[in-house]
Amino acid sequence: MTDLSIRPPQAPPARPAPVRRRRRGRPSVQGVVNAITVLVLVYLVIGPILMLLLASFEDTTAGVTIRPPFPWSLTNFTGVLGDAQTYQVLGTTLLFAAACLLFSFVVSLVFAWLVERTDLPARGLIYVLVVAPTGMPGVISAIAWGLLLNPTNGYLNVALSSVFGLHGHGPLNAYSLPAMIFVQGLALVPLTFLLITASLRNMSSTLEDAGRTSGAGPWTILRKVSLPLLRPVLIGAGIYQFVTVIEAVDIPLVLGLPGHVTVFSTEVYRVTHPAFGLPDYGASSTYGILLLALAVAPLLIYNRTVRRAQDYATVTGKAFRPRRQRLGRWRWVAFGGSLLYAVVSFILPLFVLLYASLQPYLGPISWATLRNVTLAGYRKTLSSGLFGSSLEHTLVIGLAASLAAMVLSVSLSWLIVRSKSRFTWMADTLAFIPHAIPGVVIALAVMLIYLMLPVPIYGTVWIIVVAMATQYISLATRLTTGGITQIQQGLEEAARASGARPSQVWRHVLLPLLRPVLLNGFLLVFLASIKNLTLPLMLQSSDNVVISTLIWNRWDYGDVTGAAVLSVLLTAVTVTAALVLRRLSGSEEI
Amino acid sequence: MSAIRINQLRHTYAMKNKTVTAVDDVTLDIGDNEFFTLLGPSGCGKTTTLRCIAGLEQPTSGSIELGGVVVVSDRVLVPTHRRDIGMVFQDYAVWPHMSVFENVAFPLRIGRKLRRAEIAERVEQALDLVNMSQYIDRRATQLSGGQQQRLSLARALVRQPKVLLLDEPLSNLDAKLREQMRSELRLIQQRIGITTVFVTHDQVEALSLSTRIAVMSGGRVVQEGSPREIYLEPNSEFVANFVGATSFVAGRVLSSSPVALTVGTELGTLSCRPQPDVRTGASAIVALRPESLVVTDKPTQGDNCFAGEVELSLFVGDGVDYRIKVGDQSLRARGSARVQFVAGDTVYVTAAADDCVVLLADPDGAEAARDATDVAAGDVESDR
Repeated sequence: MTDLSIRPPQAPPARPAPVRRRRRGRPSVQGVVNAITVLVLVYLVIGPILMLLLASFEDTTAGVTIRPPFPWSLTNFTGVLGDAQTYQVLGTTLLFAAACLLFSFVVSLVFAWLVERTDLPARGLIYVLVVAPTGMPGVISAIAWGLLLNPTNGYLNVALSSVFGLHGHGPLNAYSLPAMIFVQGLALVPLTFLLITASLRNMSSTLEDAGRTSGAGPWTILRKVSLPLLRPVLIGAGIYQFVTVIEAVDIPLVLGLPGHVTVFSTEVYRVTHPAFGLPDYGASSTYGILLLALAVAPLLIYNRTVRRAQDYATVTGKAFRPRRQRLGRWRWVAFGGSLLYAVVSFILPLFVLLYASLQPYLGPISWATLRNVTLAGYRKTLSSGLFGSSLEHTLVIGLAASLAAMVLSVSLSWLIVRSKSRFTWMADTLAFIPHAIPGVVIALAVMLIYLMLPVPIYGTVWIIVVAMATQYISLATRLTTGGITQIQQGLEEAARASGARPSQVWRHVLLPLLRPVLLNGFLLVFLASIKNLTLPLMLQSSDNVVISTLIWNRWDYGDVTGAAVLSVLLTAVTVTAALVLRRLSGSEEI
Repeated sequence: MSAIRINQLRHTYAMKNKTVTAVDDVTLDIGDNEFFTLLGPSGCGKTTTLRCIAGLEQPTSGSIELGGVVVVSDRVLVPTHRRDIGMVFQDYAVWPHMSVFENVAFPLRIGRKLRRAEIAERVEQALDLVNMSQYIDRRATQLSGGQQQRLSLARALVRQPKVLLLDEPLSNLDAKLREQMRSELRLIQQRIGITTVFVTHDQVEALSLSTRIAVMSGGRVVQEGSPREIYLEPNSEFVANFVGATSFVAGRVLSSSPVALTVGTELGTLSCRPQPDVRTGASAIVALRPESLVVTDKPTQGDNCFAGEVELSLFVGDGVDYRIKVGDQSLRARGSARVQFVAGDTVYVTAAADDCVVLLADPDGAEAARDATDVAAGDVESDR
């Protein structure tokens, strides 16, 4: 799937619904399934939003009230909006997001151009190296950079100090906004790069050739032809990544909190999980509403602009082999730079984690410490009961969330693509909304719901499953809608005309044809769910610790070796899985 | 007994706040073993009508009976899978994840419990019927377009349904293959004697295959009759123009009797085929088929001979297509391939009185027909 992440691929214009429909006899099975799908989605998607609104517009000093009479009040908003700190957090969040996007898009554009349009040596290798960090969870790269750049004994800081003969704190500080921007920006590069290369590859180079034959130089073509043609992709990817940045808890938590750099997502976490005292759900819901508004605004703008997307219809089409720009003597400079980038973005953090996991305690790298290499950390961590149970929780959550997301999204996609029901637009919107809700907001709302409702899943793995299924509905639906769109309607109709009942059409025709898409989607959601720190952390209790929260807890507790051991293991799993998935499906949305 | 009875079928749908009527009060009675064709330009409602018969589309009102069983009415709606039909789709709709055998066996496997041997036997029979037995073990995706369409036909026939529905089954095939499949389709239908409803926009297919044709336009049936009637006695400018290329000459009826009919036109006085319901003095349009016009370099003895000038002359292999200017009127004619007049030549055009069909003027229908023939003409052209 090379398309652009925001909207699911548009279904071909469905046969319009008859004006007047007569009800005859009992409702069809398909109708019941459609209704259930929509109801479950309304519950999963609209429920949290209502909960947030309720909690934020109430006086919550005595907790959240879910039955009338509601103590309506604007105290939460006056409190939050009247607090100067809110605006500071807002400013930091916007600055953080803008800088991350700028950094990652510049890097991605340069690499995309080098790989797709120049004679860079070993382009395949560079491609893989740029994409490889996709598998690395944010919390782990944050920990790695914490190890490298922390002011007291970060490996890089120590190395730089000794080279330049500095004393005291190292010259670089991991616990600062620039470091957060750097690490988060690096984390955004793989997906951004994939989206841009995919679209650059589909963009017929004849469009560029036409510019060339009109007398334009390479620089003019880049400015006047290539970049404008890429604009829809750039805007789409930009908005997607914007939501990614503002919803993520991991990097701001690991690198921001020690240096007192707070963004909205960490603020929500801090208020709901105070070090002492009771959590203030009213204030956190209000933050959640603000964060939601922040995420939704650009999406609305995007949907307004995307209507003009047809203007760019020529972008796709059978591309000729593009003529590659000759880099001349810059060729090897570019190659060296690319390798350096790969080392910094991926190999160095991995190496540091590996090293730290083999050391009994955190210290500078030297010949002496190399002799201290020990597997004791592995033995200790892997033999602990907590590791066993968190591994189990991770697998249960991953499997259950991906299964739930796939089942829901398949029946939702069918509704979107095939149904002539009046409620199709509702399904379409429902599938789209979770995309715009930051994970930390989903977690908060889900937490509130199950604190209040008499459904006993609060504090269990199942509350995390519910939150993850909600969060990944959009991702899964994008895949399944694409999959169903590609199945000609005639194949279903032929089965019906051959005497197959709706259930038989599903079993014998639709599901077998969708199998690759379903498998791909399942793995994708599974991978995303085991990498996710935000949801399990927000919903954490002593009974539902997963690997990602365990890593954070070890790190927070000061057990660097334990955190490093777990990070190495999880990264090995996720990076391998991501590469296998890419190989398997050519998917670009890992 | 009629195999299919469609009564006052209507299908409307909403599009951009407008109500569009796809099928408008269609009533048809299709007899046993008929090869019945719905012919018309795209958007005329023929496919929607067929899909209503199949149950893939819910009509807004009206009723449909299949073999005496009501499948659609105000109170009943039998879902597709419970209708006794077989259907072939324009894009074949061959399941790519199944082998040829599995595709054809599907309708048998999901239905009544049949023994394996029986299924195998009937699948073989069906494949034999369409000359595909040698491909039984192939994957469906390894077949060519023509083979996929045969497979699709075998699949539709394997259940031995009462009614066979064909939705433009030949339009995705290339010209040679289409011609071959056309004759085969007719042979198979005659051999097993199955009531067939065939949807097409191709007049050649419709004329050559059908026992009866309903020409549709704007959701309505414009004319219903045998291929001969449709071609030789079109009841409107639309039908005349859509079924075969036709030149139209406007005029006024000079005299009308059971044995002779003359119309005064720009060309001069035309003797036409007599028609009972035409009154003297009525304004009329005379339809002239290109192939019924004889083009010569000398005037012929007899009626309806006019001098004209060749505007355009196209050699098309089995003949020459002319556009000939007679007065202000442009006529299409088809001449023999042996001699070719070139643009600028003065020629004589003769039409037998029996080939001049008088139509009563209907300006609306003419408009629609002209749009429609653009499509149809394009298709005919690509055939050659």
